[in-house]
Amino acid sequence: MSRRFRTRLLTALVWACLLFLVLPVLVVIPVSLTDKTYLSLPSDGLSLQHYRGLAAPETGWSAAMGKSLLLAVCAALISTALAASFAIGAWVRAGWWPSTIRVLMLAPMIVPPIIYAVGMVRVLSAMKLIDSFPGVLAVHVVLGLPMALLAVVASLSNFDNRVVMAARSLGAGPFTIFGKVILPNILPGLSAAAFLAFITSWDEITVTLFITARRFATLPRRIYTSIADSIDPALAAIATLLLLATTAVLAARLFLAGRPDDPAAR
Amino acid sequence: MSSRFERYALLLTLPAGIMVLALYALPILQVLSLSLTEGKGAWANYSQLFTSRAVAKVVGTTLNVSLLTTAITLVVAYVIAFGMIHMTARSRRIALLMVSIPFWISVLVRAFAWITILRSQGVLNGALMGLGVISQPLELVYNRLGVTIGMVHYMVPFAVLLLYANLTDIDRRIVQAARSLGARPLTVFLKVWLPLSAPGLGVAALFVLVFSLGFLVTPALLGGGKTLMIAEYISVQISTTRRWDLATALSTALLIVVGLLIALALRSPTMRAAFGGGRR
Repeated sequence: MSRRFRTRLLTALVWACLLFLVLPVLVVIPVSLTDKTYLSLPSDGLSLQHYRGLAAPETGWSAAMGKSLLLAVCAALISTALAASFAIGAWVRAGWWPSTIRVLMLAPMIVPPIIYAVGMVRVLSAMKLIDSFPGVLAVHVVLGLPMALLAVVASLSNFDNRVVMAARSLGAGPFTIFGKVILPNILPGLSAAAFLAFITSWDEITVTLFITARRFATLPRRIYTSIADSIDPALAAIATLLLLATTAVLAARLFLAGRPDDPAAR
Repeated sequence: MSSRFERYALLLTLPAGIMVLALYALPILQVLSLSLTEGKGAWANYSQLFTSRAVAKVVGTTLNVSLLTTAITLVVAYVIAFGMIHMTARSRRIALLMVSIPFWISVLVRAFAWITILRSQGVLNGALMGLGVISQPLELVYNRLGVTIGMVHYMVPFAVLLLYANLTDIDRRIVQAARSLGARPLTVFLKVWLPLSAPGLGVAALFVLVFSLGFLVTPALLGGGKTLMIAEYISVQISTTRRWDLATALSTALLIVVGLLIALALRSPTMRAAFGGGRR
């Protein structure tokens, strides 16, 4: 085996592994265009009937999408506000309290969500908030905190502490320092935090599954029930829409604007 | 003592602090305390974890699938990450996009795609039967095989991003030194690359294992109720059979195992360094 041949073989293996990641997801696109009423590849022609089905109000897909959108926007705003306020406070003043809270805020990244789900089912049913907007919102805010916190902390770590010292020595009060010195300097971090918290809420399923029923069914909840009960091609249509949206955002970030904040694109 | 500025700073940490204490720490503590008081009490709740046949089977399946997933994921992710650091900048961008799409796409979309491909009237069986390779559809999903495929596919992007960050930090001059001293490619890989990527592999293995042990969605959808893992078993206990004693005891046990795994990982200095990154 020549050296060149071996390198080619290794390269082929790498791309084969990469294709294993992407190709299976892409299968939803042809399936969503099937002309049949059951899940299949299109055989006699292409059809957009399953996309039309998504828009029809009686199927409930657009309602679920609307609920998820509202929920994700609210959760993202609250998570970002809480994370930013905490990160700035902890940045100025370290100690046991901020360290403890930081661990608790980051915990949902590691602690299996099923455990949190078991706990929240009890808490929310005691408060009669199962299957309600405030109940789901509270959970999504908590689950959005880890990513939001990491984004804000990353942006704070680039901020020079001497600017704050300069402002203080010039007699600026706490509100001026927090609002007019620190906050404007971490705005990119805040938008990244809001974006990540939005995605977390938009995708959240494990805990949502246990604390919602018919009244407040989010889009992921609706998708989950559809997959578990009856697999129909409308799912492929919705999966295609989600796939296209994700790809568009990622491609835009990778090829047009994004660089420095991406850990893998150094 | 502290200045007015610092007191205000402390005040800023309060809203998030109260939120996570009331709506995260407390619910989880309640799970722990319920596991001691529900049903016939702590002893009965926890001893059933060791005596029940059903629990033993679920734990066995979970360990089996999780360890297999971790092993396969690490191999596939290492191949991708290792390939990526040797690519041209343009190919690397494409590769990164190919890792990022599955990373960001909803877990439900991925599970649905795999069901579409693997089920008995699915794309893969259809193609194989159309080509005449098989005459009966293969059972590829709603069993351990399907769960493992789906889980590996879910975990690989995570592991690639962790390993890629670790591999780019390796000093390439060491590799050049080994080469110039006459080491063959295989020796360079085994004696230089692999030992230097051990911390990254360790962190990736830990994350994949922890995520796998408590994974609900993919095992539940691709297992089809036949391949039962811990998270789905807990969910059945609270939604269907209303066995809170069993659900909370299993949840606590899962939490302890996850905690132990992380504590164990943090004991190793290389892992601590990989976790802490650069201290300020």
